[in-house]
Amino acid sequence: MIAAATFAGEARVGLEAEVSQLRRGDLDALSVLLARYQNRLYRYLLRLVRDSADADDLFQATWIRVAEQIRKYDPSRNFDAWLFTLARHLAIDHLRRRRPESLDEPPAHDPQGATPADRLPSAERPALEGIIDREKGSRLTECVVELPVIYREVLSLRFEEEMKLEDIAVVLDAPLSTVKTRLRRGLESLRQNLEARYPGERWL
Amino acid sequence: MSNCDQIRDLLALAASGALDAKSEERVAAHVRTCSVCAAELDSFQLLARGLRRLPTPQPSAMLVERARARAELSMAEETEQRSNRKVLILLIGFAWTLVVVSWPIVRLLSGGIETWVSTRLPQSWYAFAGFTGLGWLAAGAAAIVLAWHNRRERETT
Repeated sequence: MIAAATFAGEARVGLEAEVSQLRRGDLDALSVLLARYQNRLYRYLLRLVRDSADADDLFQATWIRVAEQIRKYDPSRNFDAWLFTLARHLAIDHLRRRRPESLDEPPAHDPQGATPADRLPSAERPALEGIIDREKGSRLTECVVELPVIYREVLSLRFEEEMKLEDIAVVLDAPLSTVKTRLRRGLESLRQNLEARYPGERWL
Repeated sequence: MSNCDQIRDLLALAASGALDAKSEERVAAHVRTCSVCAAELDSFQLLARGLRRLPTPQPSAMLVERARARAELSMAEETEQRSNRKVLILLIGFAWTLVVVSWPIVRLLSGGIETWVSTRLPQSWYAFAGFTGLGWLAAGAAAIVLAWHNRRERETT
């Protein structure tokens, strides 16, 4: 635990040094930062736009934007949140141009006016324990992809990036309460999708 | 609203680690006695675990290299523009100093010390000052328009 905390602390100090080097125009720092964030940033973009060719373009555009804007970055702010905000702006602009996919909050999903009691696990629901194997992981991926973008992104930021809620609020430029609502609705919609797609099955 | 209904709204957030300590304690206390809500919480926790372990797609090495090259290029351009701006400011400062310093020297050399100390300024001095001032005003306005145009161009690309 202490070792993990120390490691996290060292990583943060390393990151601060890299970012300040980049702010001074050090190109080596750019390579180091790219190596540090490439997988996370690409994953986030892919979760947002779903298409790998688009994610490729946005990945490049994000790093160009980083190079252009790094001098405007305020070092007292969280760098992850800053970087993901840049990426998000580009991705959202792209989605607006490409697809008329709604970026607004969808109405709370309650099929056929189901009451909260109907949403409870029934006696017939299969047990959910079990190892998450590759096939079932891809089932989950399929269902995540079907979610509206505002849920995809919040789930990705929380569970894959393991971002704090406060940082997610910065990235989404939304109040904390909105982040929580989206998280809850995102998980609930995901569960509904899985149940609809694999009824009566052990979907995870 | 029954206790179950109130707790159920918190279950997805509990599985996301997004509750404050007090609410978390409330949920924990409730699921100890309510098997239905406990099962519901389990299902959200399972989903959360699944989401944490989703396969991570990786960018190709070629893409990373391309992104690095293009970012470096734009970084270099940015640096060059900044140094250009510095040089321009230096040049402007130098030109100003030259103008201000050279006029008295010219007067001194052409008319001797008398005209230099005389309080009655000749008309040519006003003409000179007027023209120089106008020139600088025009150049300043042009510089502002150019800078504004450049910025807009950079923002749209």
